[in-house]
Amino acid sequence: MSDYATPTSAVGGDFEEPPQVMARNLRVASQLWASATAFFFFAFVFAYFYLRSLNSQNLWHPHGVSAPTGSGTAIMLLVVVSAAAGYMAARKLAAGDAASFRIGGLVALALGLAAIVVQIVQWSSLGFGPTDGGYASVFVGWTGLYALFLFGTLYWLETLVATSFRSPKNTDSAAAAAFAFYWVVLALVGVATWVVLYLL
Amino acid sequence: MRRLLGFNLLTAVVLGIVGFYVGWWLGHQINGPSVAYFASTGQNDIALFVAYIVGVIGFLAGLGFLNYPVSRMLGKPPSLREKESEGIGRYLGLCTDHKVVGIQYLLGIGAFIFIGGLNAMLIRLELMRPTHLVWNGNNYLTLVSVHGTMMMGMMTSGILGPFANYFVPIMIGARRMAFPRIEALTFWLLMAAGTILMTTFAFGGFPTGWTGYAPLSEQANMGMDAYVAFFALVGLSMTLLGLNMMATIITMRAPGMTWGRLPLFVWGTFSTAVLMVLAAPVLISVLLMLALDRTAQTGFFNVQAGGSPYLYENLFWIFGHPEVYILALPGMGILLEILPVFARKPVWGYRLAVTGMLGISLMSWLVWQHHLFVSGINADLRPFYMLSTELISLPTGFIFIAALGTLWRGRIRLTVPMLFSLAWIFNFLIGGMSGVFLSDTPSDVTTHGSFFSMAHFHYTIMGGLIFAFFGGIYYWLPKMTGFNLNERLGKIHFWVMFVAFNSTFGPLLVIGFLGMPRRVVTYAGYLQGANDWVSVSAFVLGASMLVFLYNLVWTQVFARVPAEMNPWGSKSIEFSLPSPPAVHNFDRIPTFGPDPYPYGDDGAGIGQRPVIAPARPTR
Amino acid sequence: MLSSHGRKLAALTVIGTAIVLPLMVFVLGPNMPPGKDTQVAKGQVFDNTVLLVVMTPFTVFILVYLIYALWAFRAPKGETELIDGPPIRGHGPSQIAWLATTTISVLFLAVFGSTELLANNGAGGGGGPNPVAKPSGAVLPIQVIGQQWEFTYRYPTYGGVETAQLVIPEGQEIAFHVTSLDVIHSFWAYELGVKADANPGVDNVAYVKADHPQTFQVRCAELCGLWHGYMFDTGLVVTPAAFASWIAARKSQFAPVSKYLPPYSTTYAPDPQHRG
Repeated sequence: MSDYATPTSAVGGDFEEPPQVMARNLRVASQLWASATAFFFFAFVFAYFYLRSLNSQNLWHPHGVSAPTGSGTAIMLLVVVSAAAGYMAARKLAAGDAASFRIGGLVALALGLAAIVVQIVQWSSLGFGPTDGGYASVFVGWTGLYALFLFGTLYWLETLVATSFRSPKNTDSAAAAAFAFYWVVLALVGVATWVVLYLL
Repeated sequence: MRRLLGFNLLTAVVLGIVGFYVGWWLGHQINGPSVAYFASTGQNDIALFVAYIVGVIGFLAGLGFLNYPVSRMLGKPPSLREKESEGIGRYLGLCTDHKVVGIQYLLGIGAFIFIGGLNAMLIRLELMRPTHLVWNGNNYLTLVSVHGTMMMGMMTSGILGPFANYFVPIMIGARRMAFPRIEALTFWLLMAAGTILMTTFAFGGFPTGWTGYAPLSEQANMGMDAYVAFFALVGLSMTLLGLNMMATIITMRAPGMTWGRLPLFVWGTFSTAVLMVLAAPVLISVLLMLALDRTAQTGFFNVQAGGSPYLYENLFWIFGHPEVYILALPGMGILLEILPVFARKPVWGYRLAVTGMLGISLMSWLVWQHHLFVSGINADLRPFYMLSTELISLPTGFIFIAALGTLWRGRIRLTVPMLFSLAWIFNFLIGGMSGVFLSDTPSDVTTHGSFFSMAHFHYTIMGGLIFAFFGGIYYWLPKMTGFNLNERLGKIHFWVMFVAFNSTFGPLLVIGFLGMPRRVVTYAGYLQGANDWVSVSAFVLGASMLVFLYNLVWTQVFARVPAEMNPWGSKSIEFSLPSPPAVHNFDRIPTFGPDPYPYGDDGAGIGQRPVIAPARPTR
Repeated sequence: MLSSHGRKLAALTVIGTAIVLPLMVFVLGPNMPPGKDTQVAKGQVFDNTVLLVVMTPFTVFILVYLIYALWAFRAPKGETELIDGPPIRGHGPSQIAWLATTTISVLFLAVFGSTELLANNGAGGGGGPNPVAKPSGAVLPIQVIGQQWEFTYRYPTYGGVETAQLVIPEGQEIAFHVTSLDVIHSFWAYELGVKADANPGVDNVAYVKADHPQTFQVRCAELCGLWHGYMFDTGLVVTPAAFASWIAARKSQFAPVSKYLPPYSTTYAPDPQHRG
């Protein structure tokens, strides 16, 4: 019959797999997920510039709608520093220092959560609402979804840190590196958000 | 009784329904009497969206999808396996065996496509008279919308879901997909989505067709939310499926399986997956904007609030055009996988075919405004989009020439899979040629939004993709289940379907040219004869599906004639495995030769002995 | 240079093309939609004919090839041993020939289509508020207002009178200014060869000149809700004299209500502040 397999029962044996396979998978998945994220937020970049150019009924950026640049900058800085902390933590782990990784990971986690808290505070004290024109709509949608992405990615970080605490000797540096890559990309998206929504 | 308790489909359905009502209640708390509009009209989109979200979470929790994320949060180590136990139960829950997921996809998508097809029959029933016959305006539009939306949402994963999930790991010499749990998730997300779409009937349906154009989609009542939720979940499923496929193909190839040796089905999957990962997020984005407009009263698509319907049209088609190539490319992969087997020749122009697939992938991003030629958007850019749209027919032509060259001096056997593949060439030829008309802006002025455009995409999507889908079923199902399909019934299915299909959509090309718009419930009286012909042909086309269903149920459930290992004499790796393959795919990973299609006198490749063609099964 | 199969295929393709091409040019082409009633419609018919001509050789070749292959390259019936065909993996000259012919055809069609679009004042398609290709000379503006689920027509040069029927004079260059009051519609005047989407807040302009008096069908070509299928009309092309008397009659007929209409504008926005 087959040269390659015999019909066994449905429960197969657990075959050994080299650890590099999972490491490669995580790295590739992180890059792909980063690409998907970039295209997701590209839609909002497109919406910003397109609606601004159309300026329907002069309601793109009506009087009284002002971007809260202070809190916006704070959010961006928190995310960027968090990404730096996450990146350095991953580097430490690759060099073998799991304890530093755990500390760096906790710092990144705290800063990321702080960014979300500041964002929520900003929404509650916004001088405008979603009905106040094109810019306001893009602002609400973009910042809301970005906060959602932050939250989901922080969950990812938490799993890595928690795993490291639980089995300190087995902390997966490939997983940490994959996370750090994506976290940096998300921080860059945050910078782009800041530039488009607050600077322009 | 104990088997019923635990993480399975039954629990999932219960928790899904409970979650829906919890979300419904929650939504009403968020959205109380302070938002007077929602309170007074009984239309509560916020409540419905929250209900859908919590319902889906409950559904996934019931299947056990939350167990691993929670255990990881607690710091437990990562693992690949959930249960891969024996028995029929593993098809009704979370199973990380990619082969089980493939069969789940086949049955799940099959069920929803059947519903979509029923809708089509009901549409054609109405169109047998130029004026009102059976359905009132709202019901008719909902039928049209649900038909299109269900088909588009389900068929995007129509080939990658069942066949790529099942066979890509085997074809590249791997034992698993890169992320088995995510693979299972994509399937169940799609099932949840399909269920949500069907709830639109309970909320009044929706009137926009599958494209969901604003502002009509903002004006529509609660049934519209089902469309938004469905497509967003489909988009998420697509993104994850594409990601998993790409990661698997990039990292899990066995030693010796270089990029230049990949079967063309894998290349087709890969080029589709690239588009899924990048285009589906744009869809999710634009749908979230629509949801925000419908709930938070943002103004993305509302001219009077600083937005524009043009934004919707542009964003939708930036997704929408890659989407239709997501539909076309897997069919091309199957075509070039089946032709060599039944022409007994290697693929002609392998590199040309790969260039074609990747070229289509790349260029599909550059053509979207050909859907918008008469909209008033960027009218000065129309020559550019005419050029880009004309140019995308070049890589498509590579696929054609590779297919034709593979037949050259072959020894063709007209088995059922081969018939479907040859029909692909014929149908996609007509579809492609009608596309040339549509890509020419002056000609498009008359054909845009008419039945000509509708016939064009049915020729390419149904005549191409669905025919390839059935080709894949007849080719691979005996391997997947271990039981043969009946060849005579298969040929009846094919011939009735092929003739009825062309009889349905050929005249529609003409009817469109004669001026009948799409999605209308009335038409000029002199077109009644033609419409009646089309409707009857459509009923026959539907009947051909019943032939297939009978074949499927009779052979797989009752007759159960065991399939041999290699009924087709294929030299592809999956046909050197038992039917069905073991859960771990291979005892030892194969070594792959330089040619995935080692037909011909030199015998280079996996080194198959010549196979005696099988005797006809007795039933 | 060609094998015997190749020679047979080439011959069949040439013969097939020789039969079909004249049919395309002389029989099907002139009868292609949307007809010959206006310049833009004639332009579209010409376009369609050229498209048919360019597509014919490829279509004939592929169909002839398929039929020939199924006849000449079949495995003998009743064969039990699976014998492979020759391992032909490609053929450089054929690939280059295919690439060259398809590329040239496609580039030609792109250039041709663009030229036709610009030469024909937009070929009857909606070109946005400032189409780059417009007719020279006097143009009669007629506004087409789409709303759920009726088209109405305003004549700005005739005092902004709004009517429910579309009547246009023959031999006169018309600019349709298409807009919408609510959702996206599409103004499709079939025999005129005109189609322009009606978008809220947008002025979408399409040009046409009708050659002779006739009736024509107006249909909505973009799904706009419940009664989209009932949103159709019949328009009239009349002599200039008949048009002048018709529009004068409409002005006096609608005079009592015209003063309540908003002033003519290329787009309309609801003005909630000033109701009642």
